Amino acid sequence: MKLKLIYPRWKKLPGQTTFNLPPHGPVVFAATLPEYVDVSFTDENVEDLNMDEECDVVAISMMLTTQVKRGWAIADAYRAKGIPVMFGGISTMLHAEETLQHADSIFLGEAEGRQEQVFKDLQNGCLKKVYNYMGHQPDIALVGPARRDLYKRELYNHKGVQMVDLFHASRGCRFSCYPCAVSYLGGRCFRPRPIDQTIADLETIDNNRLFIVDNSLAQNKQWEMDLFREMIPLKKKWISHTIEDDPQVLDLAAQAGAWYVYQAVYDTSDYIKERVKRYHDYGIGVEGTILFGLDNQTEDDILRLIDFLLKIDLDLAEFTILAPFPHTKAYDDLMRQGRIFDHDWDHYNAGQVVYKPKHMSPERLQELYEYAWSAFYHDETQEEKMFKLFTNVMLREMEDGTYRPRDRKLANKSFGKDVDRSKSHFNEF
Amino acid sequence: MKVPEKYYDEIFEFAGQWDMPSACGLKTIHKDGKTYIITTELYQENPGTSITYAGGSLIKQICDRKNLDIRNIIYIECNPNTNSKLSFYDEEMFEVTYQVEEGTPTNLTYRQLSKEEIQIIVD
Repeated sequence: MKLKLIYPRWKKLPGQTTFNLPPHGPVVFAATLPEYVDVSFTDENVEDLNMDEECDVVAISMMLTTQVKRGWAIADAYRAKGIPVMFGGISTMLHAEETLQHADSIFLGEAEGRQEQVFKDLQNGCLKKVYNYMGHQPDIALVGPARRDLYKRELYNHKGVQMVDLFHASRGCRFSCYPCAVSYLGGRCFRPRPIDQTIADLETIDNNRLFIVDNSLAQNKQWEMDLFREMIPLKKKWISHTIEDDPQVLDLAAQAGAWYVYQAVYDTSDYIKERVKRYHDYGIGVEGTILFGLDNQTEDDILRLIDFLLKIDLDLAEFTILAPFPHTKAYDDLMRQGRIFDHDWDHYNAGQVVYKPKHMSPERLQELYEYAWSAFYHDETQEEKMFKLFTNVMLREMEDGTYRPRDRKLANKSFGKDVDRSKSHFNEF
Repeated sequence: MKVPEKYYDEIFEFAGQWDMPSACGLKTIHKDGKTYIITTELYQENPGTSITYAGGSLIKQICDRKNLDIRNIIYIECNPNTNSKLSFYDEEMFEVTYQVEEGTPTNLTYRQLSKEEIQIIVD
């Protein structure tokens, strides 16, 4: 049976560095398929979709809300040709009711151990409209190595530099953060993968640089330390979300190859300043993630925060505007108060205001967001700051003998396309 | 972020979106000939759908199980004070009004109650 697996494209935010990382969800899903399913994968963000390619069934994997409308359009086109279409992934779960209108079947929940039945039903002509496993997570030990063999590697390469591979060591989250839907999607219980399996999976990845995409590694200190300890011999270098603020953990993380972390910067406190410094003390870079538009933020608060960011030695900063995704408390609050004015899912990109902020107009919030990007990267561009981080990791790789020079054959290619040397490099790094 | 027990008389388990096992706090107050149903969001203690997202379905499930007339209750959603440092988790209560179509509440609208209004109900 031939399955066409598609990851729909979405519009990237203007003015920001465009990275096309190899997507994680589709290849994790592909690993759960029965052996007789022959998969052909297209990531529309890096290549065109050939709808004439023969297939028996289409599976559309969606992670972002900004992918859903494109995913639905693809599905409509395939279904018009008589080819059945299934949907799965994070934003399928967040937008399940709407997605159903464009699908022969939607899969809600985690795929491990469940696809044999789905494909048996498909072959027997009794595919269910909904496979609902919400709230019924499979045994985490069933999570196997992702099907990274499906990637067309040369498409995730910028001027000869291979992009990081995505990897996950756990699912679920014990936190319940205001703008986040993870606890709805993956459960409110932190579920770490067995460390031996995690390490075995990591060993299969032919890439020294990774992005560990777990929601937060700082959920179980002992597990976190055990994981880092076992990772040390692999000599991988990696990016992750927050790491536990503990000297012992930070030391092990650094030894295990922590390259830089995403750290939320939500106020101008000494705690944040010290937190950033502590990462740096262990040689770990910090990309600040700054969310604008919360009800406790006035214009002055945002301006103060931007000034603060310029003083705390962040390696990078990423600014976002609150997007009230379904199944978050932010959505509940704003919906109840009738403050959401834009319901076009393409605009839920965390760079566009879709609701009425409490202390300013939507236009003013949008201006402050644009100002934050330009102020932070005024003296040193995003590309220049990224280059420093890359230099840092290259030096570390040279020290431990894992450095791989860039692929000269791809020096004039960026994500599968020819590099336009006449253009600014701002969007190309 | 434990929700104080003062907010509810019982934990009400309900079927959330896509039948996800879900739970909320439930308090029933009979006062001046009126029946007030107050549901409280339990955050981390709620394994499934929020009370707001469950909306009309939750109201129906409560009325069905408690033998209440869906047209004759005053339904209130409560975001409890969880003593969080974040103001988003301060106490807020909303009176929810709705139409009933085929036995299920639809077109829900929310009005935030003032402290005085809440006091009158709970005292």
